[in-house]
Amino acid sequence: MLRSRIAFFTIAVIAVAFAAANGRGQTPTRYPVVLDFTTPPPIVEGIFASLQRSPDSIETKMRAAIRTSAVPLDRVGGSGAHYIAGRVIVKFKDGASTASRASAMATARARSSTQPSYANFEVMTIDPSEDAEEAARSIASRPDVEYAQPAYRVHTECASGWGTPDSNGRCVPNDAFYIYQWNLPDIDIERAWNIQPDAGGSVTVAVLDTGVAYTNVTMRHHANAFTITSSGDVEPPGFPGTAYPALGDLTLTFVAAPELGPSSRFVSPQDFIWNTNIPVDLDGHGTHVSGTLGQLTNNGTGAAGVAYNVKLMPVKVIDTEWDDIFGSPNFGTDDTVARGIRYAADNGAKVINMSIGRTGPSAPAVEDAIKYAVGKGVFVAIAGGNEFETGNPTETYAEIASRVKGAVSVAALDRAHNRSFFSSTGTYIEVAAPGGSFRGFPGCGIPSGGGILQQTLDLDLVETFDDTPANFARTPPRFDALAYFCFIGTSQATPHVSGLAAMLVQQGYSDPGAIEAAIEKFAIDPQSRNPRGGTRDNDVGFGEISARATLRGLGLAR
Amino acid sequence: MKTAAFVVALALAAPAAAQTDRVTLRPYGMITEQAFSASTTFNAVFGSAAAPFWGAGAEVILPHQVYVDISASRFKKTGQRAFIDNGQTFRLGIPLTASITPFEFTGGYRFRLRRRPNLIPFVGAGLGWYSYKETSSFSGAGEDVDMSHLGELVVGGLEFRVHRWIALSVDAQYTHIPGILGTAGLSKDAGESDLGGVAGRFKLIVGR
Repeated sequence: MLRSRIAFFTIAVIAVAFAAANGRGQTPTRYPVVLDFTTPPPIVEGIFASLQRSPDSIETKMRAAIRTSAVPLDRVGGSGAHYIAGRVIVKFKDGASTASRASAMATARARSSTQPSYANFEVMTIDPSEDAEEAARSIASRPDVEYAQPAYRVHTECASGWGTPDSNGRCVPNDAFYIYQWNLPDIDIERAWNIQPDAGGSVTVAVLDTGVAYTNVTMRHHANAFTITSSGDVEPPGFPGTAYPALGDLTLTFVAAPELGPSSRFVSPQDFIWNTNIPVDLDGHGTHVSGTLGQLTNNGTGAAGVAYNVKLMPVKVIDTEWDDIFGSPNFGTDDTVARGIRYAADNGAKVINMSIGRTGPSAPAVEDAIKYAVGKGVFVAIAGGNEFETGNPTETYAEIASRVKGAVSVAALDRAHNRSFFSSTGTYIEVAAPGGSFRGFPGCGIPSGGGILQQTLDLDLVETFDDTPANFARTPPRFDALAYFCFIGTSQATPHVSGLAAMLVQQGYSDPGAIEAAIEKFAIDPQSRNPRGGTRDNDVGFGEISARATLRGLGLAR
Repeated sequence: MKTAAFVVALALAAPAAAQTDRVTLRPYGMITEQAFSASTTFNAVFGSAAAPFWGAGAEVILPHQVYVDISASRFKKTGQRAFIDNGQTFRLGIPLTASITPFEFTGGYRFRLRRRPNLIPFVGAGLGWYSYKETSSFSGAGEDVDMSHLGELVVGGLEFRVHRWIALSVDAQYTHIPGILGTAGLSKDAGESDLGGVAGRFKLIVGR
């Protein structure tokens, strides 16, 4: 009797296991499917001279087109800003009744309304064919509503063992590629490292970005088809043009960037694009930004980072090409960014790096979230924008920063200390930091190169959509190879400020407003290299950040 | 009531040394607790706006109850570099050592209380030369401070003779020292330009 029961039980277990392994139920597979957390070691390559991440490069325009067109719900609003159709972000005033909420939903013909995690607003689902801007306007006009807005899309912008300081008090690390990192001595970080060898070791910095190559994991994604039109735009399948095939299910290996340090360095990772807690980077932007912020330093290899001991919190809030091709459930929109900010503030971050761009109408959900974070003692650094040569529109998030004490907007400087050609200007620019430029300083991995060098994903293996459909079909993307690339942008300038802010927190600046005040007070004139004394302009704000002076503070008489 | 009586007595006091025209030299040791006028600045760096000075000097009692006093003292304390924003101070853990060395010359008048001959009130005024040094960890060339400036002072107090050769003196001294603070650093941000303050001084005087 017992034997027959054991036999029956064994057969049942095998049958269930077989079904689980091979069966395909009625429910569609939810991607990504995590297959394994052990992977082969990463492929680590040297410096790539590619300039493809310049804001004015063909590759950048191509990637923007893919992002726009691989997402069927992408719409362009009256201001030219892109948003995701089918949703409206709404915040009701305190005390709004259930009846008034229902009435508001009826106003917008909304199907449902939910309050996502880490949000103080609701996201209403409306018919994608409805004009979300118009729906938001009609909801916002109600007396019981604080604000309503479409889900506008965002994009990337772009101690011991050191020996003794030199005669000028500078700690110069031994990283092999440090000689190409003009940007770090430019902010006087070497003398700041002398003051604080731990470089932010007790501080957590949240990187709100495209994710970070921070862990080893194998995942399965499903790649959908898309089409590139004759005008260069990429549209969903069926549009006239060059069809890029669906790649189907792809088993992809993601690796941790060795130069970002061990897994213990990463805290509370979160992915608001895929609704997981594994925010791997499918683009390279977030990994590069994290490197500038906190690359391992003085380890004899690779490059260096500003605050090389900070704890990093990867929070993925930007979707990029592969997220879109893979059909991510969420997009980098105002609501996603706002949730990411609140998540970071609620989970121990003391600094938030937002190398994120967004132009167009106001973003009350994000403004609310930034104020919430600052109110919890979190300093926020936001990219000032890369669009000087494309109409120089006001950067929405950076403009918010200029009105919130404890958040700063960051312009970019080239290695000649001029404003980078792409760096947006305006009354909202508050400080400047090296963001690089290839104009006048071409090349990467050469002493005269003008980019910001860091380890990131091997873009040649990631951006396979830059190739012909045939080659695209033959070469699925790879996320297990890392190389050193030069990026330029206010995205690259921003982590200089975030890294400095982390060091300031560790040094004793416990209030984000004071961090901003100190950074601005000690900022220098980029050209004369002298303190600016609080004067500002629309190009570089209060001037270029000066790490050592800010960290050192003031004495009684000097 | 006692205070009022003392004030009246002081007003009616005759010169204390009226019985003699001798010139007397009296050395003394001194401890001072000074409340700095630049309270925000000193609070930021040292966590307190008051600090002790140690010093010594000598008084010369001249005929007609006039006296002159010359003294040297020193304050030295280590605090932290800091930053002040919106009234809030952030101390940064970077050691800063400040020292003040005053050389003061005072002239004044000593009163005699007929009923209390061993109590001698006095008032005076004078000039001082104040040396100020500020050094910090991680300072580069030209970043430390070494400067001096003239200042003014007024003083008033009471001497109590406890022995034929020993007297104790307590006084309050106000100093005004411009020209050192207020042009840079925390003192500039705090709008404080006076290195002086009000000091309570205690002297042990040797001599008749």
